[in-house]
Amino acid sequence: MFQTINLYRRLIGVQIRSQMQYRFSFFMELAGTALITLLEYAALALVFARFETLKGWTLGQVAFLYGLAELSFGVMDLVFSGFDPGLFGWQVRRGRLDQLLLRPVNITLQVLGSEFMLRRIGKIVVGFAIFLAALSMNPIDWTPLKVLLTSLVVVSQVIFFGGLFMIGATITFWTVESIEVVNIFTYGGSYMISHPMHIFPDIIRRFFTFIIPAVFLNYYPALYILELPDPFDMPAFAPFLTPVAGAWMLALALAFWRFGIRHYQSTGT
Amino acid sequence: MSIISVSGLSKYFKVFKHHRGGLGAIRNLFSRQHSIVRAVDDISFEIEPGELVGYIGPNGAGKSTTIKMLTGLLVPTSGELLVNDLIPWKERQTYVARVGAVFGQRTTLWWDLPVIESLNLLQHIYKIPKENFEANLEEFHETLELGPFLDTPVRALSLGQRMRADLCAALLHNPDLLFLDEPTIGLDVVAKERIRQFIQKINHERNTTVILTTHDLSDVEKLCQRVMIIDQGKLLFDGELSRLKDKFGGQRELVVDFSEEYRTYEIAGATITAQTDLQVTYAFERGMITASELIGRLSAKYRIRDLEVREPEIEETVRRIYEERLLE
Repeated sequence: MFQTINLYRRLIGVQIRSQMQYRFSFFMELAGTALITLLEYAALALVFARFETLKGWTLGQVAFLYGLAELSFGVMDLVFSGFDPGLFGWQVRRGRLDQLLLRPVNITLQVLGSEFMLRRIGKIVVGFAIFLAALSMNPIDWTPLKVLLTSLVVVSQVIFFGGLFMIGATITFWTVESIEVVNIFTYGGSYMISHPMHIFPDIIRRFFTFIIPAVFLNYYPALYILELPDPFDMPAFAPFLTPVAGAWMLALALAFWRFGIRHYQSTGT
Repeated sequence: MSIISVSGLSKYFKVFKHHRGGLGAIRNLFSRQHSIVRAVDDISFEIEPGELVGYIGPNGAGKSTTIKMLTGLLVPTSGELLVNDLIPWKERQTYVARVGAVFGQRTTLWWDLPVIESLNLLQHIYKIPKENFEANLEEFHETLELGPFLDTPVRALSLGQRMRADLCAALLHNPDLLFLDEPTIGLDVVAKERIRQFIQKINHERNTTVILTTHDLSDVEKLCQRVMIIDQGKLLFDGELSRLKDKFGGQRELVVDFSEEYRTYEIAGATITAQTDLQVTYAFERGMITASELIGRLSAKYRIRDLEVREPEIEETVRRIYEERLLE
């Protein structure tokens, strides 16, 4: 275990040093990513300047959701860079996966260690800033449980969307034409959970409650932390289903990924 | 005890019919129309530890499919495959720890970092004990002359330097078995020779078993005692290089410089293929007449100043095998 962590640390270290070879382009990309994240949030904030609330939610309350979602997605995008479906598909086609399979190390660890896109830090920083701003706009009565839940929210979202990335990467073993479909779930999903769920039509909300349990990733924990009433009368433990939703997606993704690797070994490219 | 034992090994691929256009993409999702391609078709062979085997064949013959199965990247459709007492694809991690591989077109090194950083990382990936790592690095530093570019980023290396770095990377963990795919592709004569000498040295000194696939038959000629030829998924020939020449080499040539001019240079058992001044080139069939018989006949009739026996080029031999399908 210690050896595995140590190796992972080294693989990531190599990726960081590689990117630091191109310092200027790194800083430009970092600034670009941060700016895009900021502009998207500004567009949302402008809506509030005119309408004041979004179906009863203030800017501060939405910013709480938005900040957490951006921050978590940024962390996920950084940690799971190697599984970014577009990038992964390209790596497979140029034989990079074969080279990883020729090394005596767990393949999942190697793919995780094969890329670490530092420019995602731009999104993380801005997401965290939005989250801090939200805290100043909401009078939150912090308890240890709320602090724990907030950190669980970040971890759960990271593994949930990381799982979606892994599923998308695995699909590229069969087809690279479907990456856009996967993006609907990853980027679309992250966009959706950064808004209060009650603004969406019932059918969409039900889908993301019972089929893909994304509502538990952000919305329910936010209801609990901000002490807002639940308009859908879910059980009181709903906010605490966050890690279950995350773990469920990651477990599904790992199983599918293993299946994909086996398929790859029987067909090649 | 063989290090590689292959029997009845086959790999078939399903090739799905590809429909074109927008609707075609949807049809592709559901279409099950396919044909079967027999990339490797029922091949068997054994390789002993310490052998240096050339594995050759035209493009699409099944070479890389075989290598992919031998390295555990591909699962065979049928047949038995045992390397180092392991089934490569089943016990991948244990297996690849004892194997080295260099694919000439691609590097395993980290593109943007100095060579030495990649090598250091490989020490951790293969869990190479410090003493072994340092001893190997010192040796390869010398034999592969890594010194001048050890601190250069891989992307800035010349092809020859990159190949040397990749060879070093593939051998740091003392593999029993080394797979080399086109190790001299694109290199100049000097660089090629250096790589060949290194491969030979590793094979001799460490008794590393080497499987070499190449398009450059002079690699095979200089390095391998044994050669295997694959075409259309079938193993066409497996044996010593000299036997291949004896059997399929076709005509040999005798070039003779005569001491004086004669009216005719005709001789029984050979035909004249070229003539300039006093130099005459004869072609003669293997198996019909030996070189010494022919020389005997010539020297009985003429005064000879100098002569040379020319063996057919291996290139020529192999070309004939592919084109005329001599082995079927």
